[in-house]
Amino acid sequence: MRLRTSILCLLMLLGAAGARAQEIEIGIVKQAFERYDILVMPLEVTSGGTEAQQDAWTVESVMSLDLDYSGLFRALSPQEADTAAVSFGIEGVLEGRLPGTAVTAAEAAPVLTLRLVSQPGRQVLLNKRYRPTAGQLRASAHHFVNEVVQLIMGEPGIALTRIVFSRGSDDRRDIYCVDYDGEGLKRLTANRRLNLFPAWSPDGTQIAFMSWEEGQQGLYLLETATGDVSVVNRTLGSNLGPTWSPDGKELLASLSKTGQHEIYRIRLKDGHLQRLTVSDAIEVSPSWSPNGRDIVFTSDRTGSPQLYVMGGDGSGRRRLSFEGRYNDAASWSPNGELIVYACREQDITQVVLMNQDGSERRFLTDASWGNCEDPAWAPDSRHVVFASDRSGLFKLYVMDVTDGSARQLTFGDEPDTTPHWSR
Amino acid sequence: MNRKLVSLVILLGLAFVIAGCGGKDAEVLDDPTATVTTPAETVPTTPVAEDPAPTEVVPSGPTAEDYARMAPQEYGIEDVFFAFDQYALSYEAMRLLEANARIMKEHSSLVYVVEGHCDERGTVEYNLALGEKRAQAVRDYLVNQGVPSSQLRLTSYGEERPFARGGNESAWALNRRAHFSRP
Repeated sequence: MRLRTSILCLLMLLGAAGARAQEIEIGIVKQAFERYDILVMPLEVTSGGTEAQQDAWTVESVMSLDLDYSGLFRALSPQEADTAAVSFGIEGVLEGRLPGTAVTAAEAAPVLTLRLVSQPGRQVLLNKRYRPTAGQLRASAHHFVNEVVQLIMGEPGIALTRIVFSRGSDDRRDIYCVDYDGEGLKRLTANRRLNLFPAWSPDGTQIAFMSWEEGQQGLYLLETATGDVSVVNRTLGSNLGPTWSPDGKELLASLSKTGQHEIYRIRLKDGHLQRLTVSDAIEVSPSWSPNGRDIVFTSDRTGSPQLYVMGGDGSGRRRLSFEGRYNDAASWSPNGELIVYACREQDITQVVLMNQDGSERRFLTDASWGNCEDPAWAPDSRHVVFASDRSGLFKLYVMDVTDGSARQLTFGDEPDTTPHWSR
Repeated sequence: MNRKLVSLVILLGLAFVIAGCGGKDAEVLDDPTATVTTPAETVPTTPVAEDPAPTEVVPSGPTAEDYARMAPQEYGIEDVFFAFDQYALSYEAMRLLEANARIMKEHSSLVYVVEGHCDERGTVEYNLALGEKRAQAVRDYLVNQGVPSSQLRLTSYGEERPFARGGNESAWALNRRAHFSRP
């Protein structure tokens, strides 16, 4: 991970201290890596009383967690930090409205000013002003951290992303979504059916998912703005998947309308089906490469499920996984470099990472994780979310694949499965 | 549902006891899946299964409408079981399906959903495909036995709707099945 050159030059000019290697607790091994320390100062509250002070604390804690969750920074309070050794600081002002002075909702919103400053030197690198209306306070803090990540690392942050998943058991499973930090849980379906495999469209406006209606599987689209649901495909037999094309115009799914499970492209504007595979085997779990040229999928044509790659038109099929007897649920990283998937060995399913050419297989989880399934990438190609039954019940966990550090994302006493991360 | 599960578990337990003290009987043992599919044979849900007579339409018996309201298991249609990661029918499963086919042909107006189910091991998506393969194998065998394909619909629930809870082989064995339900 590199600092953007311009910021590096700036830091050198300012004589700022560089990042310090640190060790953190992780799933499998302990590994030293670089995180940049960043000081999060208490916000100055100029008006608005205790309510405004509460808001200020919320903003501080959201930003601190976002920085930690980015995997790129370590947030420190002034008490924790050796300020001379820290490269960056975040400070700001919150102007709350006095009770009774607001006439409209917009006027009731506080004015939040956040600044990123070099440390020491106090040069302002970023200065943002927000008017968060009710319920938007956390989003403002997330937005500012994304700006910080973009400025310093030159890549978009993930603080405003969300994860969609299936919650429930037996006859009743609903699609839920949750902010990437575990806040803002929302149920999106209430059709008293079994709903699985939700997948965000690349632009985030729709969620494709699978549902059973009167004993028949189908693929459906949910409009996130309105909650409207429409049918994409309900041909007889399996309707497994779906996953989106990078341009958002097509879905990939495994259909068994011919009696065999085959991979199809489904054009959304007219429902046109293009069959990509022809075999007696089970062919499932397709996932597009981010450039749209290739598709990774699972086939059991050799007698056990293994990963294969083919062109977007079904041509040039080649086997990708040669280790392990049971490999499935592959997902291509947004930067195109890595593939994460589920591998079953010794009666336990684990999450495994490999290079996109099939080389360098490495396990992200071990037996202490129980069974781990359905890994899905964050847009930063650094984090994956997956379901693990390590607590005795499938819940979602987020892992940084560069060091194996992880946190539990969802809680509660119902199983959570088949997560997918918004882009 | 719960009562049925309990009786299944009890019957399964009995099956093991009987298998344990009864010694060998005329079971086919050259089929490696035979031990796994044993529960299927020993899970007659009601005595009706042993006596096909009540399924004959006699004046005092249930009408076609009555059958349409009953769960298929109540008039002798039985589920069949599979070995791990397999969708081939065992010898026992075929014999059960032959009995099912006779009943289905007697009530030709009734439509069945053949549901494929898997145990919890393995991945969600692959298990859904495997469940459908099981349902297909059952449908194909029934059609071979003369059941019109219009009477049969297929679906797969993979590992999503288990019949028994528990991370052990006795629960898994009960969950690897093709189940018959009403549409």
